[in-house]
Amino acid sequence: MLGVDIGSTTSKCVVMRDGAEIIGSAVIPVGTGTSGPARAMEAALKDAGLTQADMDVTAATGYGRNTLSEAGHVFSELSCHARGAYWLFPGVRTVLDIGGQDAKALSVLPGGKLGGFVMNDKCAAGTGRFLEVMARILDIDLDTLSRLDLESQECVEISSTCTVFAESEVISQLSKGTKPEDLAAAISRAVAFRGCGLLRRLGLTEPLFMTGGVARHGGVVRAIEAELKIPVHTDQRAQLAGAIGAALMAYDKITREGE
Amino acid sequence: MNRMEELLRAFRNIADNPKAQLEKYRAEGKKAVGCMLYFCPEELVYAAGMIPFGLWGARTQAVEAKRYLPAFICSVLQTTLELGIRGAYDGLEAVMIPILCDSLKGMDGNWRYSVPHIPVIPVAHAQNRKTEAGVAFTASQYRKVKARLEEIAGRAITDADIRDAVSVYNARRAVMRRFLELCARKPGLLKPSERNAVFKSSCFMDVREHAGMVSELVALMEEAPAGEFKGPKIVTSGIMADHPNLLQILDDLGYAVVDDEVTHESLRFRADVPETEDPIEGMARQVGNIEGCSVLFDPEKNRGKMLVDLAKKSGADGVLLVLTKFCDPEEYDYVPIKRMLDAAGIPAIQVEIDQQTAENAQTLTALETFRGILGY
Ligand code: SF4
Repeated sequence: MLGVDIGSTTSKCVVMRDGAEIIGSAVIPVGTGTSGPARAMEAALKDAGLTQADMDVTAATGYGRNTLSEAGHVFSELSCHARGAYWLFPGVRTVLDIGGQDAKALSVLPGGKLGGFVMNDKCAAGTGRFLEVMARILDIDLDTLSRLDLESQECVEISSTCTVFAESEVISQLSKGTKPEDLAAAISRAVAFRGCGLLRRLGLTEPLFMTGGVARHGGVVRAIEAELKIPVHTDQRAQLAGAIGAALMAYDKITREGE
Repeated sequence: MNRMEELLRAFRNIADNPKAQLEKYRAEGKKAVGCMLYFCPEELVYAAGMIPFGLWGARTQAVEAKRYLPAFICSVLQTTLELGIRGAYDGLEAVMIPILCDSLKGMDGNWRYSVPHIPVIPVAHAQNRKTEAGVAFTASQYRKVKARLEEIAGRAITDADIRDAVSVYNARRAVMRRFLELCARKPGLLKPSERNAVFKSSCFMDVREHAGMVSELVALMEEAPAGEFKGPKIVTSGIMADHPNLLQILDDLGYAVVDDEVTHESLRFRADVPETEDPIEGMARQVGNIEGCSVLFDPEKNRGKMLVDLAKKSGADGVLLVLTKFCDPEEYDYVPIKRMLDAAGIPAIQVEIDQQTAENAQTLTALETFRGILGY
């Protein structure tokens, strides 16, 4: 099975066998409307040593889900993230998915079905895009930004949740001589607070698992843990949760139909 | 095309072309008075022999209106003012503006300044609308409105005129309630966009004309076989559920709207004007009898309970809360409503709608997912 998650800024693809095992995967840092989906599929198939012809089923999800001609099945990314997260972390009850352009909090029923959800408004604040903009201003890469908070000694605050305003706030902090590590911690907290707002709105049941590209940003994960005072679980493959979910949902469908 | 399709197309056509309606009435020598948004005393306009004409904004970009309104004012007001400035409402003799939310409070002044050729008639409803003092206050305000309308119409409005108007309006309310009931009884007979057009067209039509068309539709709906509907059934709630993309998404995903608690839709027709000796007092009492509307003060917060009852009674699978972006009254209501729906085990989602956006991918994702949650 091939699961493709065509996000706004990234294309993710997994090749799975029998709904049990990932045998190939790829993440390409460009999303819908680009060559990203095709490249992600090609790379994941290559990783698995297979071709499209070997696939029993191809399923698409994500912002660009309706644009993939190869897809026999199309699912909303909310259901897919819930299902994918449950596969990566069985027993999960709440998922926080922060992607490049939006953020969602999902409640997961036993078995991995989606129970309810809350989405952020269409705004870059509190998403991967916000982190990208901030990394650019600090003139560091995203990986460095995700670790830099560990060196922070002093608590500074970015008061605005708006990316554009926060950008000028960070610039004025930099010109005041505020240390980049303190700003990195403040940036992580800004994203974390938005995510926590969604979780509170949804109603949080533990365990909490994070998916989406921002799940790899250690600073944000630490800031959420500090704010909620509970552990935040994640997985190296958390960015693939949507693609995994799509593959699994398609697998469920064909096995059900086959019965 | 059968007669029902013809009628539904006619409702849509009128809903989409308010300006043509206004011009039609003016060509017939009738005067029209604008009724901005909520609970303007339309009966008084009708009693003066004029056409009450609804102003509910539209799906468009506010550009000129931004000179007067900050970005955090709801798109309903942004686009209403925009259309006023652009001349879409030229031909109206005046516009009634209620003061039922904080954003509407500034609308009177903004309108006077930016659309000076259409005079304003402010309409103040009592906050404590159910008490005797509140009813007396609203009635006193309606009398002021009546005096202004008499000037515009160039004739006196008698109590008999008002009584006649009230009975015509109550008759339309009755037929609209039959329509509502049929939408619940025969889900899928009308698409969500078709159902919306029946409500929306009422804002731009002579009340008798609209009631006549709805009566004909209702008779056809009665006759039509119920059929087996296999899609998700929802109750909608909010200020407006009118964005063309939202309606298209609901149509495409096969939803049926089996009832609503939408101010732009059924809330305008649920409560009759009681027959009282002083007809204006009856009109003021009616405002006190409307339930489930975020802009009408309700210390009991009954809206959530009403929504639970509507969902149960109509056999809905879930509730769609359509939040008008930047609408404070709706935001305040959300929490108690959601809690009550959760407690009753009724699935609900909220989607945020802005009349200015032309792209609604997030709404599609939310409604596609909700359909899955409802088991379809
Ligand atoms: S009640 Fe809400 S939607 Fe209506 S005018 Fe006020 S802010 Fe706008």
